[in-house]
Amino acid sequence: MKVVKANAGALTNFEVLDFLNSRGASKDTTRVIAPIARSEYKVYDYLLETAASTQTRESVNKFADKCKDFKVAKAEILNIINLRPSSIVELDPIIEKAPEGQEDRVIDTDGILELVKDLLPPLPTTETETPNANDEEETDNGEHPNATAEEETDNGEHS
Amino acid sequence: MFYLSELEHSLRVPPHLLNLPLEDAIKSVLQNLFLDKVLADLGLCVSVYDIKSVEGGFVLPGDGAATYKVVFRIVVFRPFVGEVIAAKFKESDANGLRLTLGFFEDIYVPAPLIPIPNRCEPDPYNRKQMRWVWEFDGQDYIIDDSCQIKFRVQSISYPSVPTERAEDAKPFAPMVVTGNIDDDGLGPVSWWENFDQIDEEEE
Repeated sequence: MKVVKANAGALTNFEVLDFLNSRGASKDTTRVIAPIARSEYKVYDYLLETAASTQTRESVNKFADKCKDFKVAKAEILNIINLRPSSIVELDPIIEKAPEGQEDRVIDTDGILELVKDLLPPLPTTETETPNANDEEETDNGEHPNATAEEETDNGEHS
Repeated sequence: MFYLSELEHSLRVPPHLLNLPLEDAIKSVLQNLFLDKVLADLGLCVSVYDIKSVEGGFVLPGDGAATYKVVFRIVVFRPFVGEVIAAKFKESDANGLRLTLGFFEDIYVPAPLIPIPNRCEPDPYNRKQMRWVWEFDGQDYIIDDSCQIKFRVQSISYPSVPTERAEDAKPFAPMVVTGNIDDDGLGPVSWWENFDQIDEEEE
């Protein structure tokens, strides 16, 4: 076995989710028929809970485009798309301290947050009133959850 | 988190697969070979993305199977240092925490990378486990499985396969990710949920 190119391109969570979807992965019982391996389904289930499940190709492309104006590094753009931070506190660990040679790099974090709010759809919501088929639940960071909404049921997977 | 890697490999397609279209047969062999396996320095192979080229198809003497040389791309899970990932809590012990992503479970947060001051106490709900608690501003913040935990990748290591092991050692992990939760916005998501209004700097 030979490695031709170790890094033939970085993929956002959204692109991997899209790829699995195009091969027929799904959340419901038709999953046993799809040609997707069990280990791939584990990745699929993980991705469904992240921000990637509500994103679309255009929104991700537009966001990446506009981010270039903010002088953000490519790895940081990838992180932002994958995590969809909705507050400064979430954005902070993503943006690195200025690397050497760019000491006066001032990042417009508010501008980036505005862009995130505009272009990237919010995280998948879990309200206790609307039961859904998923085992995992996650609150929408944009809303202010009350005490009971912030629950996570035990996942059914045992690996 | 995910990268595409291009590989080239010579593989044999066993005779029982020869009734399938060639691409499917090769894909199935590739999946058996690479799926859910860790390749050193490349990461955990998640999926076969596509097949770029196939050549060969010779049958070697004495063999019933055809041998092909295939160039293909796979999706690998390889977090980069500095990436922030949301994971779930799996277990904790005196050395630190262990987090899981469902498909990848060897994420360790060693004790020095948990925000200080902290303390480790025996878990009242689960006798075998220890529980980590962060003390800040007089309040106790517990680290448990109530919500997702964000961590930043500190380092990734690919330990080599051990030749000998003690009887009760943990199963060998070919890829270990070390995480850090000692920074603003990291750690359980619930710690930071109320910080939209308060403009405080944590730690």
